[in-house]
Amino acid sequence: MIEVKNLSFGYKKRNLLYKDLNLKLEAGSIYGLLGKNGAGKSTLLKNFIGLLFPTDGNITINGYAPKKRLPSFLETIYFIPEEVYVPALTINGYKNLFSPFYPSFNEKQFFSYLEQLDVNDKARLNTLSFGQQKKFIIAFALACNTKVLLLDEPTNGLDIPSKIEFRKLIASIFTDDKIIFISTHQIRDLDNLIDRVIIVDNGELLLSASINEIADKLCFKTVSEIPSSGKILYSEDTLKGKAIVIENTEHEDSKINLEYLFNAVTENPVIAKSIFNNQ
Amino acid sequence: MNNAFNAKRFGKLFKKTLLERPVQTFGFTGLSLTLVLILYVVAKSITGFSAAQNLSFIWGLPIGGCLLASIVFGYFSSNASGASFLTLPASNFEKWLCSALIAGILYPIIFLLFYRVMDSSFVSVYHHHLDPSAPFYKEQYESVYIFNFNGIVAWKVYPTFFLLMGIMMLGTLYFNKIPFIKTAIGICVLIIGLIGLNWLVAKIFFGSISDASIFYSVTIPVGKEEGSIELPDQISKVFFYGLWYIIPAILWFLSFTRLREKEF
Repeated sequence: MIEVKNLSFGYKKRNLLYKDLNLKLEAGSIYGLLGKNGAGKSTLLKNFIGLLFPTDGNITINGYAPKKRLPSFLETIYFIPEEVYVPALTINGYKNLFSPFYPSFNEKQFFSYLEQLDVNDKARLNTLSFGQQKKFIIAFALACNTKVLLLDEPTNGLDIPSKIEFRKLIASIFTDDKIIFISTHQIRDLDNLIDRVIIVDNGELLLSASINEIADKLCFKTVSEIPSSGKILYSEDTLKGKAIVIENTEHEDSKINLEYLFNAVTENPVIAKSIFNNQ
Repeated sequence: MNNAFNAKRFGKLFKKTLLERPVQTFGFTGLSLTLVLILYVVAKSITGFSAAQNLSFIWGLPIGGCLLASIVFGYFSSNASGASFLTLPASNFEKWLCSALIAGILYPIIFLLFYRVMDSSFVSVYHHHLDPSAPFYKEQYESVYIFNFNGIVAWKVYPTFFLLMGIMMLGTLYFNKIPFIKTAIGICVLIIGLIGLNWLVAKIFFGSISDASIFYSVTIPVGKEEGSIELPDQISKVFFYGLWYIIPAILWFLSFTRLREKEF
């Protein structure tokens, strides 16, 4: 479980990026952290892994304080940064040097994931394209079978087939004792993958809700005319009419559009909070 | 699980550190030793054995060690490699110890072995080519000898090596980009600053001065001659023990705490 209590963080003490952030992430979910560029998504992930330390407040992950960077903590968590590091080693060389640090690493899975992601180059890793390097690290991270997996913009640099494979892989490795936390601004890449959405903007937590809860409280539909009643959070002209995000007072079933959800919550944070806090 | 130190985990880390970037670690060590050899040969042909031995030893050990320290700690030139290093499941102490061992212990051992082989080869070739029937054979033979690792020069170089290593390890953990150059500039600025400050303090105390060595002696004109004022023996010892042993120990410890507190 990841528990964030009154987290304050800023690169400068007088200019806090997060102030009194509270968040509880239970195992058994794939979380999607959405936010604009510079909203503090990577910063939050770096606080989770212990690369950055909270200015104030606490973070605990499965009972560990990340800032101590204890080996027993680090072997249960894997962080894939936006830009990955691969040394001048072959796939086997990397596996032989890095996998012994992860007790649950599974070699068979590793090569299977590499195959699925179409990484089979015998050359040194640093000579591969950025996309291939990223896919390699994703395969390695998944094969480490850590309890917590943090991914920062994992689909950046991946081609369309690889993005599809990535989604399939994440779905296939997921078990109830794991937390997968994916931060991205490429919202469409998370479609049908995540089961909880977290939206941050200007260092503030705007939304933390499950997909079911969102579907229950908001309705995503296309209309010819914007209705005069109801809390409308977002509207956009489309070829078929006006796509709107509206409070789901009629208990309608609709398919969540993450992009519209993101726009709705960031453009109308007050209304969104009132809808989601109104149990 | 021991979160501070585990021998098995440390072994894996040591292997990983050595083999992860072999071109940098082994390549650089090889390059450094080659430069020592070139310096030795060039200096020997220009100024003779004694200067060549001193020069190559003085430059080879501290400068080579410092460069290697900047390489083994140099993960922070990119976000990706820095994150990979800090999030690897090994303790901060193990990571520090591993780099400190490679640059601070392993490199000096390799350097000393190489230096001994190189130096004794040149000395033996020199001795071999002397004519035993020549009139000054004995003097010529005895004028060139193998560099003494336990001599005055060596014992000035060892603490300097540990001092500079401490500064370099700390500097590499402070400066993420091109740490060797930035730390080297920092050292130069510090030395120049100390010389200037020392000169200023000596000037205030003694008025007219000819020379002022940092924390050691001040040369003042006395009539037509010059006299040297040196630190009292006891104070001098305190200063040199501090400089050679206490300050390096503090710097090495600070580099560990810096790694432990490193945010990236």
